[in-house]
Amino acid sequence: MTDTITLPAGFEDLTELAAHWARATENARSAIRWSASAQDFAAFYTAFMPRLRTALDLLEQIPLDAMDAAQTNLFELACAFAEAAPHHELYGGSADVPHSFSARRFVPGHGDTASRL
Amino acid sequence: MTDPASATLKPGAEKFAHLGRSVAAIRAELGTAPVSVDAIRDPAIYEREREKIFRRTWLKVATTSELPAIGDYKVKDLPVVDASVLIVRGKDGVVRAFHNVCTHRGNKVVPTSDAETFGRARAGVVTCRFHGWVFGTDGPLRSVPLEDHFGTLDKACLGLREIACDTWEGFVFINMADPPEQTLAEYLGDFGTLFGGYPYAEATTAYRYYTVLECNWKVALYAFSEGYHVPTIHAGSLPGFRGIEHSDFKLIGPHASSTIYGLGMEAAASTAEFARVLHGSAAHAPHPEQVPPGINPTRRADFQFELPNVFPNLLIHLAAGCGYPGMAFFTHQFWPLDHGRTLWEGINYFRPARNAAERVAQLHVNALHRNAWLEDTATMEDTFTGIRSGAVDTMQLMDQEFLIRHAARTLDRYLAA
Repeated sequence: MTDTITLPAGFEDLTELAAHWARATENARSAIRWSASAQDFAAFYTAFMPRLRTALDLLEQIPLDAMDAAQTNLFELACAFAEAAPHHELYGGSADVPHSFSARRFVPGHGDTASRL
Repeated sequence: MTDPASATLKPGAEKFAHLGRSVAAIRAELGTAPVSVDAIRDPAIYEREREKIFRRTWLKVATTSELPAIGDYKVKDLPVVDASVLIVRGKDGVVRAFHNVCTHRGNKVVPTSDAETFGRARAGVVTCRFHGWVFGTDGPLRSVPLEDHFGTLDKACLGLREIACDTWEGFVFINMADPPEQTLAEYLGDFGTLFGGYPYAEATTAYRYYTVLECNWKVALYAFSEGYHVPTIHAGSLPGFRGIEHSDFKLIGPHASSTIYGLGMEAAASTAEFARVLHGSAAHAPHPEQVPPGINPTRRADFQFELPNVFPNLLIHLAAGCGYPGMAFFTHQFWPLDHGRTLWEGINYFRPARNAAERVAQLHVNALHRNAWLEDTATMEDTFTGIRSGAVDTMQLMDQEFLIRHAARTLDRYLAA
């Protein structure tokens, strides 16, 4: 799968990260997040947090309906980071929100819709 | 606590002064005694709630932005009133509600796969899949296969059975009573004007979560009806939400409201980055000037959101981007499935993202809020188990839990009527 992932110029070094985390829908991203370890969250955070502003600056220039494949991959990686970051920053690396209801019982009505739509 | 007497009020705020209550007034009016948990525990009371509350009050079932085009429909199954409800925008643009029941032999006209089903009627009609009876989206029975094989068939009397339906600020309400005792405007009363005028319809990006909770519907409603729990339950997801103040209590007939003031949510480094994107955009930045005049009447800078309880089962948190970054408002609803099971729905509303970065930032805020809801819902089944055990007969309610005390009293009043 890694060989099919492309990212915009300047983000090529994040290809492996994108292959693991970047997915189009919330349900697909949740499945990956639920199986992540504290080390996975820390590695993602350490690699992407320093690039977040640059990534958002780039994505800010792109309409949602006009992303090319590389931009879509970066968008989906950023979506995964948006949802994963609290697990590193706030939840001590836990894939579950501590002291919470089962996330698997929460159904997102939009769960199988691509987040770019 | 906002003291309207000593501060400059927003123009128009004075019209709502009669709704405001000090803590002393709340205690005097609603009392301070413990409140019985019988209405939560007793299945017989639930059966009375179905008849005396859910079949008589106005219930929010949709938003007009869910049905933007002619022919768009939504089917909402409501076990609490034993009904499947078809909400549809007719050729004339009017949104109406009907029983989703074929007048031939009672089949569902639109098959449903979940608590909510969406679709678009072609050519202004919906057709029952059982025998092909065709109904206009405005209700009349249009055609019947083999119509001349019925000895008697008065098609004029066999349209879809209409349910009272009206809209307020883009929220679609129904009332199962025929006819309702009050119009929607009468039922909402001062709530309609207190919360009116905000551009709800501009926030068309909706992220809806739902789950079935093994608890009575009021356990879930009450858990979301106070700010007392925020520093403890949300210590994980909202560590920046310090100095929370839940005040500006208002009593509005069967409804009530209050305000959450406090510091912002940008405690984590990533949240601050995402908030920067949203706060830097005119569409998503905080818009305290859009908050209606009776809410945050003294223009406090630490306004987070307004927290009302719209009887019986709706909460509309009006934030105007002042609380969670970029979030216009969010709603909760609590639909009883039976005495001890509840369909909870939480929906986050944003204005549409104009670019990919704004969408990512919205998804971060949405995830933080979803996670806070996971913390909220963690208590509900345990609370219901505890109440059913018989170990406690009453709830002890503090000032910030007045929405619960008021809702419980309103419930008793409806049951006694």
